[in-house]
Amino acid sequence: MTPADFGRRFLLLAAVLLGCAATLVAQNEPAHHPMASAMIAADGKTQGPANVAAPHNEFVIRGATVLTGSHGAIQNGSVYVRNGKIVAVGESVNAPASASVIDARGKYVTPGIIDSHSHMALDGDVNELTNPVVPHMMMIDAFDYRDKALYHALAGGVTSALLLHGSGDMIGGQAVVIKLKYGRSRDEMLFPNAPRSIKFASGENPKRVFGSRNQLPSTRMGNFEVMRQALQEGREYMRDWDDYNTKVKNGDKNARPPRRDLRLEALADILRGNLLVQIHCYRSDEMLTEMAIAKEFGYKVRAFHHALEAYKVAPQLAAEGVGIATFSDWWGFKDEAKDAIPWNAVIAMRKGVKVAIKSDSDDFVRRLNQEAAKAIRYGGATEDEALQMITINPAWIMGIDDRTGSLDVGKDADIVIWNGPPLSSYALADKVFIDGDLYFDRSLPGFGLVQFHGTPGVGAATEGFPGDDHEEVH
Amino acid sequence: MNCRTAELPNCRIESNRKPGWRSACFALALLVCATPLLAQEQAANAGAPIAIRGGKVMTITHGTIPNGVVVMENGKITAAGPAASTPVPANARVIDATGMTVYPGIIDAESHLGLQEIGSDQMTSDLAEPSDEIMPHMHVYDAFHAETELIPVTRLNGITNAVVAPAEADTLPGQDSFIQLAGRDRDEMILVRDIALPVNVSGQQRRGGGGAGGGGGPRFPSTRMGVASQLRQTLLDAQDYMRRAANPQAAAGSDQAGEGQRAHGGSGGGGFHRDLKMEALIPYLRGERPVILSAQTSNEVLTAMSIAREFNLKVVLNHMERADDILDTIAAYKVPVIVGSIWTLPETGDRYDAEYRLPAELVKRGVKIAFASYSDTHNARNLPYAAGYSVAYGLPYEEAMKALTINPAEMFGVADKLGSLDPGKTANVVIANGDPLDVKTDVKHVFIAGREIPLVNRQTELRDEYWPKK
Repeated sequence: MTPADFGRRFLLLAAVLLGCAATLVAQNEPAHHPMASAMIAADGKTQGPANVAAPHNEFVIRGATVLTGSHGAIQNGSVYVRNGKIVAVGESVNAPASASVIDARGKYVTPGIIDSHSHMALDGDVNELTNPVVPHMMMIDAFDYRDKALYHALAGGVTSALLLHGSGDMIGGQAVVIKLKYGRSRDEMLFPNAPRSIKFASGENPKRVFGSRNQLPSTRMGNFEVMRQALQEGREYMRDWDDYNTKVKNGDKNARPPRRDLRLEALADILRGNLLVQIHCYRSDEMLTEMAIAKEFGYKVRAFHHALEAYKVAPQLAAEGVGIATFSDWWGFKDEAKDAIPWNAVIAMRKGVKVAIKSDSDDFVRRLNQEAAKAIRYGGATEDEALQMITINPAWIMGIDDRTGSLDVGKDADIVIWNGPPLSSYALADKVFIDGDLYFDRSLPGFGLVQFHGTPGVGAATEGFPGDDHEEVH
Repeated sequence: MNCRTAELPNCRIESNRKPGWRSACFALALLVCATPLLAQEQAANAGAPIAIRGGKVMTITHGTIPNGVVVMENGKITAAGPAASTPVPANARVIDATGMTVYPGIIDAESHLGLQEIGSDQMTSDLAEPSDEIMPHMHVYDAFHAETELIPVTRLNGITNAVVAPAEADTLPGQDSFIQLAGRDRDEMILVRDIALPVNVSGQQRRGGGGAGGGGGPRFPSTRMGVASQLRQTLLDAQDYMRRAANPQAAAGSDQAGEGQRAHGGSGGGGFHRDLKMEALIPYLRGERPVILSAQTSNEVLTAMSIAREFNLKVVLNHMERADDILDTIAAYKVPVIVGSIWTLPETGDRYDAEYRLPAELVKRGVKIAFASYSDTHNARNLPYAAGYSVAYGLPYEEAMKALTINPAEMFGVADKLGSLDPGKTANVVIANGDPLDVKTDVKHVFIAGREIPLVNRQTELRDEYWPKK
């Protein structure tokens, strides 16, 4: 598909969606997702498409050490980009003479870094703590797209991120997937048609939040019973709608639709498999409990986040196809992080778990390459494996691995040029491209920003959020 | 033996009764595993000299030797030089360090090691006494917990010494201790009980004010003005106390003592009263020991330095993060600086790398710098990487190594014993399989006071238990 085709399909899709929405209102058409909106596509499985104009760019990066993230390193390699997509990668590529050339001799090229656990750019609006189950809280509604944290992350080579709720609630709400196109409009920063994710949590944080008010849940027993209760409500809501839709399908003119309830709708969407389930927990027993609940209610867990004891139950995670998004070496900041070991990532990986290293921090998001490199030191990951922990593996956790996360033909041109080997203490991101457009260039005076004009942070609401578990240590 | 706490049988029994069983097991596991191992190792190492041969030796004070030899005996370094000219004693245990890097143990210029176990659990923390801003008579050595698990974790990355400081909550939170990260007990680990006095003027000492609404917190001092005037008054009182303490009879007989003096060892009638709070400040007023002056921003640095100069304090500037407009002024102070943390997030209006460049900018101006883990105590093992990233932003490599070794040793007055590979110094020596500042590098041997530290801790025990079996 050429980029022009892509653009046309995009417009077509947008038109179809508008049409769907209209139909929905008019006929309560059950074939389309009842929450379909700018934020939820008609299939109910992805976040809505942003109105992004197809990028127009064409260049070739030459002479670099290209770390593809999927098929090893290419010495003296080239990457050819056209209209936002990678067109060719290899020792030599056939780029037309019209394509501009970026001389990257002595440099390293990697896919853009992906952070699968971030709370940046939310002005601290990460926990609606008035109820332990608030699956209908939409992160997009809090996304502060001018936050300077996005700039800092971009300068560290980050091109996509999953902005998640905090961990004070058992079910905190639905995340948003962004591209770090700092300087563009809010909607242009949304990752078009990325799968929807929802955040669960268990353990000390919900215990502390609700326990301190003498409310349920103040124990892990309470944690999981609250979960089961909520999912049961979702199951009954789904049944009521399924019954109604069956009646409509059978021509029952007297069928009355159940009340539309956003909270229950979101719970039902978990059970329908419309949401990637991202679960904050630390202890291995909680992972086993969460997987058992998922089995009981018939949904899949996509990934455990933090997952500091994943190394203890890695075979069980691998068997269920559950990934982890973990810290490289954080430990001891709370009791449930006491058994954290820096070998967690590599042990889990060797036992078949897909492993991402994530930041959960406006600080660490700036140097995820160093955090991934620790997997080489602690357990002997290869450079490829370490790089995958911050590229294709987090992309998988977010369900965007067919679109980004490696340097492969047809993927989005989300690319970082580094001044040296990226998996080290010394690497600096020289240039960061997203969809083939340059967003950060270290050599520029001022802020090094290409698309952003002004002062990062001015006009933004937020002063930053330290991460859902970092506030306890900093 | 298996040291995983959950498998100790008496822990299981305890688990049914006491909420604190995990901690109890933890302590027990430490007693069972860590201490005897260390003791055995120490016994085995006593006596024969140890020679490290074939490695790249970073002496810090006299350059880097591509193929060097380091010899230690009886806890001291006895030789460090090129292989060609440095004999290996015939009875030495020889360690082949070919392809490795040999360097002096890293010194963390400010940490809370031994004052904190589980970050979120107040009961495991002894960080500060916020009931009063002026608490110089608090001593870290009274709280230092030698058996903390953080120390075995930290030393496995080559950090052998640390300044342990109370938290920054008070203007004068108490006195720092200087430790080595190994030893039979607390008394062997604490090398200097009162090594320095933190003086904090970083805004965090304001009580409930923070400047919002023009100050107005419920309690003095709620503004920076309050913090500064309280500090000045305290130092004046201490000077006064020092004079009268020098001549207690005269002081007791004097009738000139006013209200403040009665409160601080003056004559409220009767004999001279010792005041521990005032007494604690005397060595610092005499310039015998350094004050560690924490000030993060330009205005705080200027205020803090003017007070320090009024009282002729021996200053190490600390926590300096956002003072890039007065770097030349800071250089002119001719005082050393503990910098950062460089991981502090930049302010609005700053380029993304404003903090990262600070170490290089200071060193360019001739300022002696050191690095510290500060309140990030559990991650103190990552201290070398802050230095590494500073190198990426222009800090010369040799200066980065000095900032982790000889510079903090000099700042705290222990450079005669620590901070470099020089004969006569304490044998704190690290061998790593690469560049110590790079995150990929693995530390292979750690010697503290000439004794090899077993590369085990609770984390390695867990690793070994769950490591994939072939």
